[in-house]
Amino acid sequence: MDWLRFGRRPIITTALVAAAVVVAVVTTSTVRDGVAVSIALAVAIAGVATLTSKGIRATHPALARAALTVTAVDVALFATYFFSATTNFNLAIGAAMSIVLLGLSFLTGASGQISLGNGAFMGVGALIMAIWANHHATTPIAITLLIAVVGGAFVGLLLGLPATRLRGPYLAGMTLAFAVAFTGIVNTFSSWTGGDAGLQLPSAAPAPHWLVSFFSAQTSLFTTGTMWLTDITIVVTGVAFFFMANLFASRTGRAMRLIRDNDVAAELVGVSLPRARVIAFIVSSAYAALGGALWTLINNSVSPPTYSFALSVTILSLIVIGGIGTIPGALIGGLIYAYSTNVISWITTQTGLNPQGNFASQLNGIIFGGLLIVTMLFAPMGIAGAVRRLWVHRRTKTALE
Amino acid sequence: MDPFLTSRIVSDILGGLTNGVIYGLVALSLVLIWRSTGILNFAQGAMPMIATYIGMVVFAHEFSYWPCVAISLVVGFAIGGGTERLLVRHLYGKPEINPIVVMVGFLIVLEGVAAAVWSTEPRGIVNPFSPIDFQLGGKPIAMSAFSLYEVITAMVVMTLVAVLFRYTKLGLQLRASALAPEVSRLLGVRVSRMLTLGWVLSMGVGTITTILVASNFFTGLTPQVMDGIFAFGFIAAAVGGLDSPVGAIISGICIGIILQFVGDFLNSNYIILVALGILIVSLMVRPNGLFTKSSVRRV
Amino acid sequence: MIVVEGLSVSFGAVQALRDVSFEAQTGKITAVLGSNGAGKTTLLRTISGLKEPASGSVMLNERSLLHVKPENIARLGVGHVPEGRGVIGEFTVEENLRLGAMMAKVNLSAGLEEQYERFPVLGERRKQHAAKLSGGERQMLAMARALIAQPSVLLLDEPSLGLAPLVTSQLMHSIHDLCATKNLTVILVEQNASTALRISDHAVVLHLGSVVANDVASKIAADEDLRRYYLGMVE
Ligand SMILES: Nc1ncnc2c1ncn2[C@@H]1O[C@H](COP(=O)(O)OP(=O)(O)OP(=O)(O)O)[C@@H](O)[C@H]1O
Ligand SMILES: [Mg+2]
Repeated sequence: MDWLRFGRRPIITTALVAAAVVVAVVTTSTVRDGVAVSIALAVAIAGVATLTSKGIRATHPALARAALTVTAVDVALFATYFFSATTNFNLAIGAAMSIVLLGLSFLTGASGQISLGNGAFMGVGALIMAIWANHHATTPIAITLLIAVVGGAFVGLLLGLPATRLRGPYLAGMTLAFAVAFTGIVNTFSSWTGGDAGLQLPSAAPAPHWLVSFFSAQTSLFTTGTMWLTDITIVVTGVAFFFMANLFASRTGRAMRLIRDNDVAAELVGVSLPRARVIAFIVSSAYAALGGALWTLINNSVSPPTYSFALSVTILSLIVIGGIGTIPGALIGGLIYAYSTNVISWITTQTGLNPQGNFASQLNGIIFGGLLIVTMLFAPMGIAGAVRRLWVHRRTKTALE
Repeated sequence: MDPFLTSRIVSDILGGLTNGVIYGLVALSLVLIWRSTGILNFAQGAMPMIATYIGMVVFAHEFSYWPCVAISLVVGFAIGGGTERLLVRHLYGKPEINPIVVMVGFLIVLEGVAAAVWSTEPRGIVNPFSPIDFQLGGKPIAMSAFSLYEVITAMVVMTLVAVLFRYTKLGLQLRASALAPEVSRLLGVRVSRMLTLGWVLSMGVGTITTILVASNFFTGLTPQVMDGIFAFGFIAAAVGGLDSPVGAIISGICIGIILQFVGDFLNSNYIILVALGILIVSLMVRPNGLFTKSSVRRV
Repeated sequence: MIVVEGLSVSFGAVQALRDVSFEAQTGKITAVLGSNGAGKTTLLRTISGLKEPASGSVMLNERSLLHVKPENIARLGVGHVPEGRGVIGEFTVEENLRLGAMMAKVNLSAGLEEQYERFPVLGERRKQHAAKLSGGERQMLAMARALIAQPSVLLLDEPSLGLAPLVTSQLMHSIHDLCATKNLTVILVEQNASTALRISDHAVVLHLGSVVANDVASKIAADEDLRRYYLGMVE
């Protein structure tokens, strides 16, 4: 596989970039498209080149993470150009979900605790997004998203402050109570939240003009399709993952893992346990709120009953199946979510169940609940953990030979 | 005092008591399992729900109310024991989140299966107790034959559990197994059996609670009938201290009464918010619960 | 009588016992001596079934105790007073004793009376929580709790730990008397070798999991090398 490590040979990189530009210019119909495609290709190649440079992960870990993020986001953005509107929509929903999963993964990975209320925290973000947009339509999307994140963090602080100071299942129980209560709370403030009916955004978030005018041929994709929203979601997801990867690797992150593994030792080296646990919980709530806010953006509306206890359980199942405490686990879980409805309806048709029947409507819960149990019993680190184990196993085997 | 206000207050206390004993029972069943196995059973509402469906719905055509109650109880015991032996046993000594996640998964599976088999339509359970409020001086008070039945049953169950734990050889062994499993084994106590028995007992309490809730003319039995009540029960258990059975019962009753006042004098939408508020404040003030004497931390 | 043969026990990579063999006779006190980490506690825990051995066997009167659960070994008449006494602090003195009497075939109140007679302090404080007892009182309670079940074998893990010298010697005397009057098989684990050797009939010296000496107590007490190198008895 040595030929893959082309980052060690700058000449190859340059040649590849040049070739890509030529191909792009030749195959696309207009100059603007050609420029766009060649930029995308060049970024991807540069990113891969950085990643494959010798020793980069050891010497410049942050740069390597940045390169990985930029490459992945670049490729995903490029792909949305070709996907159908439905695929893009699913992708956006799944990407936003993976942000939520990442937050939960961090909470467990860092503090050994778990939240059963991240669906409700998503709801907090989703509602703040819609309420703010209804009152201040001119605020840029990025700012509104940030406001939703801060709101989620604040609610997290409120709930997490007492529970995270305790060991044991207090946080889980409390967040469960919050999740069960969420729809009731939304109805209490129905003049703000619109109650069960929810809220519409005043207008679909439009793509900026300079971007639309840049692409001559595919304008309609931007304005009418979901591609623009998908692209925003992908960029935000990239930023969220990059930030989290750095947090995982930082001193704070390491200190938190120390807490999870051995809280007595952590206390001895001077890590403040309650503070670290509260921070982890706040980060997880903020991430959930961000995911919820993106859902509002993608759907152009918010429907509070979506954010039920069942959603919280789905979130838990996804991250457990993907690999709790890991970063790739969140991505895997998000992908599963994007396609789970398809898979479940496929199962329904394959088994000849009546799609309107009792059993088919409960299939989702039964399958996710069952997977939750089975994964926790037999592969507690989920898919990501299993893959990593296989990988390490293979590497040590080759190293031994 | 204004006679109208007085009767309102009396009604709230009586209505709150009826709800409160239910929360207290749920809290008690959670404490039984927490003390013996260190697990907070998130399926504590769903497991007896299945037993109640089997006893009170499947057999409703053949038998009258009381035989059905007996069947539900037996099924509840069996579900408790079976779950401990087949599922929970693999979770002892694992990281704290493993049992939480597994029991949440179990909750979802059980609720899904129940909805698949019996649908989500509420099933009324015909019982001998009238839901119509008693009259006192020509005015109704918030106490009916049915709520009297609820309160008395709850009191009897609580007393039985207390007597069992405090005054019997079995209770001594159950408590010892929870406090010091290894020492208990050295003294000949069959600790593993005691753990199973803890789950069996807890499911007995849970099944009686679910039957009481589902027999209510205004509620009926649904797969998710215990979800909200579980939340209140957990709040009561956490406020009272997960280690304290007495605390669980007392705080359950207090929370029931307080929330009844909130619903009557403020707005019923505020009930759950106030309940969360109570939980947050009490955990801030007394993290180990209002009724836990020692601040022993389970590690 | 307890017969231990070729017993090896390990905790992962750590081998706590290697090929340990000895006999503990009925009606006699067998001392097991050795410094910290010698494997004394592990030996007792293996005999009472809390730890599975890697190889070897433990026999109680010709009956193998291998793969028998601790609660069943206890029911066969093996009383184990564990390291740190294992008194349940949340229980009252009497509840601790009632727990000990759980599997006894004798009458409960007669059993309680017998123990209160032997240890009058316990009788005075029967309604108090065990957490409130002093170290010596706790040791008495632990002994009483083991004795109330009428065991034929008594495993004692460092009973003198944390006790004043006077209390220790009283305790040793009562162990000696008990053994004689009830015809018990006593295995007495001690770091405090001189005290233990004074009342023991036989002694086994462990070092890093292996038996370095196994002889009559008086001979072990007289062996200069053993005293100096393994028992820390330098005068
Ligand atoms: N649970 C355990 N896990 C790992 N190693 C253990 C465990 N218990 C004991 N050991 C090891 O086994 C060896 C023997 O320990 P043991 O407790 O039997 O010693 P001991 O003779 O009773 O010492 P002490 O006089 O300090 O009580 C030690 O090296 C100890 O580290
Ligand atoms: Mg020891």
